[in-house]
Amino acid sequence: MTVLSNIDFAIQASKDLGAELQNFSKANLEKLKSVNIPTRKTESWKYSAKRLKMSEAYPEFASSKPVGEIENSYLVDAHVIVVSNNIVCLNKLGETDLTIKSFSDLNEAQSLQVINGAIAQSSNYEFSVANAAYLQNGLYINVPKNTHVDKPIRLVFQQIEEGVSFPRIFFNVESGASVTIIEEIQIQASDDSLALVNSVCDINIEANAKAQYLRMNLDGGKSKHIGATGINLHRDARFESYHLALGSELARHDLLVKMLGSGAECQLNGVCITQDKQHYANHTVVEHIAPNCTSDETYRCIADNESQIVFNGRIHIHPDAQKTLGSMSNRNLLLSSKAEIDSKPELEIYADDVKCAHGSTIGQLDETELYYLTTRGISHEQAKLMLTLGFVLEVVHATPIEAIAEFWEQRLSELLSFEI
Amino acid sequence: MLEIQNLHANVEQKEILKGLNLKIKAGEVHAIMGPNGSGKSTLSQVLAGNEAYGVTKGQMTYQDKDLLDMSTEERAREGIFLAFQYPVEIPGVSNLQFMRTAINNIRQHRGLDEMNAAEFMKQAKTTIQQVNLDPSFLKRGVNEGFSGGEKKRNEIMQMLMLEPKLAILDETDSGLDIDALKVVADGVNALRSPDRAIIMITHYQRLLDYIVPDYVHVLSNGQIIKSGGKELALELEEKGYGWLGIADEETA
Repeated sequence: MTVLSNIDFAIQASKDLGAELQNFSKANLEKLKSVNIPTRKTESWKYSAKRLKMSEAYPEFASSKPVGEIENSYLVDAHVIVVSNNIVCLNKLGETDLTIKSFSDLNEAQSLQVINGAIAQSSNYEFSVANAAYLQNGLYINVPKNTHVDKPIRLVFQQIEEGVSFPRIFFNVESGASVTIIEEIQIQASDDSLALVNSVCDINIEANAKAQYLRMNLDGGKSKHIGATGINLHRDARFESYHLALGSELARHDLLVKMLGSGAECQLNGVCITQDKQHYANHTVVEHIAPNCTSDETYRCIADNESQIVFNGRIHIHPDAQKTLGSMSNRNLLLSSKAEIDSKPELEIYADDVKCAHGSTIGQLDETELYYLTTRGISHEQAKLMLTLGFVLEVVHATPIEAIAEFWEQRLSELLSFEI
Repeated sequence: MLEIQNLHANVEQKEILKGLNLKIKAGEVHAIMGPNGSGKSTLSQVLAGNEAYGVTKGQMTYQDKDLLDMSTEERAREGIFLAFQYPVEIPGVSNLQFMRTAINNIRQHRGLDEMNAAEFMKQAKTTIQQVNLDPSFLKRGVNEGFSGGEKKRNEIMQMLMLEPKLAILDETDSGLDIDALKVVADGVNALRSPDRAIIMITHYQRLLDYIVPDYVHVLSNGQIIKSGGKELALELEEKGYGWLGIADEETA
């Protein structure tokens, strides 16, 4: 890609890494050279490409800056890790059994874990490829066998001032272990229109292990954020994700879940609200590779004013993935006649003994529900607010950390009551 | 309390009520019976203020005010309550939040202070026992996944919490077993008082064994064709609608 083609920088960036990761980065740089900047003709960027404006906007890679204060909008006792303009800072990290290393300190076996678990292995993810090509450093976290991590691990991807940054995290959850991860994006730039965060979080979940992943994109403003999450699920492993997102100039999240071992389960939940001229794109792919796996996906989106939301959910059932149970539901609410929601469910099924369902709706508030509430003395405006909130709160309340669910409920009611 | 004169109402361009007259005083319980399609549910929806129904002619006066000038929520705040024949499910809005918002809207309108959370919970817990529903129903989405009988009991619960002046029960007894019917009847009887009025719309006489009405009206083809005391319901039960020269099913 032309703008991200500062090859000298890329080679310089990875110089501290071990041979395996340097080679991985170089291979991705090669791959990147053949990738074009996505346009509206690029299927996976059809609805978002016009927001990219990659031409001259990012003259520089985000330079090292002192780690900024993290914003605490909710109170959760957590192990905090801040990645600020690619600089890793471990903050409030209590005693843990975790192995936490920067990519430059990894041995060969650990480097290979990172490479094998990388979402960038799939060249469909242009920006994950770019992230790997510009790999400066990253953070490796291993959760040892049969360990339950007592507190959530809170990752803050922070960008101070303008430029592009490429934070990257790799988790390995060993067999029988369990962990809860919170990922947040915080941009603190005087001109946020010149800030682009291109983040990647890869999680490898070994047999019978479990990971809960809460991802919050609250940034808003004019910043751009393109993030990807890649999950490898092995035998009987379980993954739950909860995405709570507000739009910005351009916000995009790619989620790829690979069901690699029999009996694996994943549950993907998402809530997305955009206002003004914001944009948010959700792209999820569940690859059912092994048999007897279950995937369940629920995304609820609300677009107001002139904003736009994309939901592109794909379930791909490979020939060996017999007895798969797959379901995907995407319901959308338009609060304004100028708002746009593009919902694109895709099922690709190559096995014959599977159950797979999907549903997608786009609509306005239900008149009979509004009427019912008003017959109890509730004003029309308040009834609208209750129904709009209720539409997403169902999913918000599924969030396993109560303080975050409450914070979201509060935040959403403020946002929506202002609007309605 | 309520006076309806020559009411004509339509839905989707089709005239359903064709000159209905009804007068109800405080303290009275009126039963309105009639075959399917006679306009019973239309009457209840028009009283509650459903905008899908259009009033083309006639007058409705409630407590000396023109009901047609009042919005749906104003009617509710002035004390009109409709127990729905088919209550809607609203996932995501909890029963508690719903009822508390409703109560406080109504209290505010009556010049009363908001009910605080503790007070409200206390009353909600007492009332839910009264209608024989598990307290866990308070935290569930409004009617979400409730059985038919549970939905009806939830309607009665709301009625008891909101303490209306004019309660309209639209076929609340339909599809209920005897136990659930008794719960509904006890709820309605508990609400009976000299300053309240109740309209029970029903297809079956059975309910009237438990809630004894002061007046019974027979609705047919959008008009009240016969009115009487409680014995009229028994007579109807015995002789059927055919006795009044009307069919059991009407296509309105």
